[in-house]
Amino acid sequence: MSRVLNLILSHQTRGEVEWLLKWWSHCSPLENILLAYGGARENFNSLPDVQRVFIDDPRLRVAHKQRDKQSYGGVWRAAAAWLAQHPQADFTHVYFAECDQLPLIPDLANRLIGRLTQEGADVLGHGVHRIDGTSNSYYLYHIHDPCFEAFWRRISVRSDKQVVFWMMGTGSFWTRRAFLAVASQHEEIKAYVEVYLPTLAHHLGFRVRDFRDQHGCVSGDPLRGLSVESARRKGCWTMHPIKDYGTVCSSPSREK
Amino acid sequence: MKMFFRSIVLRVIHWLGSDIHDVHTGQRIGRALLIPWRGRVLVLGDGLALVAQFHPQSRFTWWKRELGFTRHPEPDFPHEPGA
Repeated sequence: MSRVLNLILSHQTRGEVEWLLKWWSHCSPLENILLAYGGARENFNSLPDVQRVFIDDPRLRVAHKQRDKQSYGGVWRAAAAWLAQHPQADFTHVYFAECDQLPLIPDLANRLIGRLTQEGADVLGHGVHRIDGTSNSYYLYHIHDPCFEAFWRRISVRSDKQVVFWMMGTGSFWTRRAFLAVASQHEEIKAYVEVYLPTLAHHLGFRVRDFRDQHGCVSGDPLRGLSVESARRKGCWTMHPIKDYGTVCSSPSREK
Repeated sequence: MKMFFRSIVLRVIHWLGSDIHDVHTGQRIGRALLIPWRGRVLVLGDGLALVAQFHPQSRFTWWKRELGFTRHPEPDFPHEPGA
């Protein structure tokens, strides 16, 4: 039987985390949530009662996400260690979401598993596409470092070792096996999370696919005119970014 | 303030630029301003993942070639056995 661990990355205050957990509780029992906390240590100690891990990886806390090549490696490793410490927790999949990517439907886990099965995939991401050999800014910035290409050549099980992927880092869905394989890979290079995670999963032999019809409500910048209600009407499962919780007044349970 | 100026500059580039069409399908795949610069071509525009490719020619010419763009197909790689 499938069971999804919702791994939520947050750096927020206690009040905001309480609100976040309340929202998530409409589509997931609390025991299926693991909070990865990237904020201050003193705030971590005062968080509400929830399964949580503190992320002390300095590469999560960078001044400029893209130029400093922000990494979620610490998040992946901490969650993998937590899974290893809780063998009774029989999670088969991991859904990763940043705190400002919120679910809009109560049966998110079932929808994710259904889509993953339908795609025959190990990883689903938003906006997955190939950027190798293109004018993509992320690719051109990374390929300037000779270690980048050499790393993929060394670890890849694929015949074409030059393939580089990009996907949005705000939300992705993983089989437990793929998630743990990526977490256990020694992070030898500096690469931005949105390039590193999908490319590593691909070169380790996992099938990475796009969420396809689930792009309408997930964007790097706020989408003009899009509200939680209009996102639901568009059939979106999640929405990003929702920065101001004060403007969101309804919950996923209203979808029922 | 920096983001404001960035968006203004991008709007100007968008206005001055031209549509980029896939050399194979003719489909519009973006918009960019192309400027020859010191033996290279500057591609100005936001969020493009273009693969540069010379256009096949139906007529033999000595003096003219067309450099166009295409995109990678959607990633559809299989799960590797053993992964």
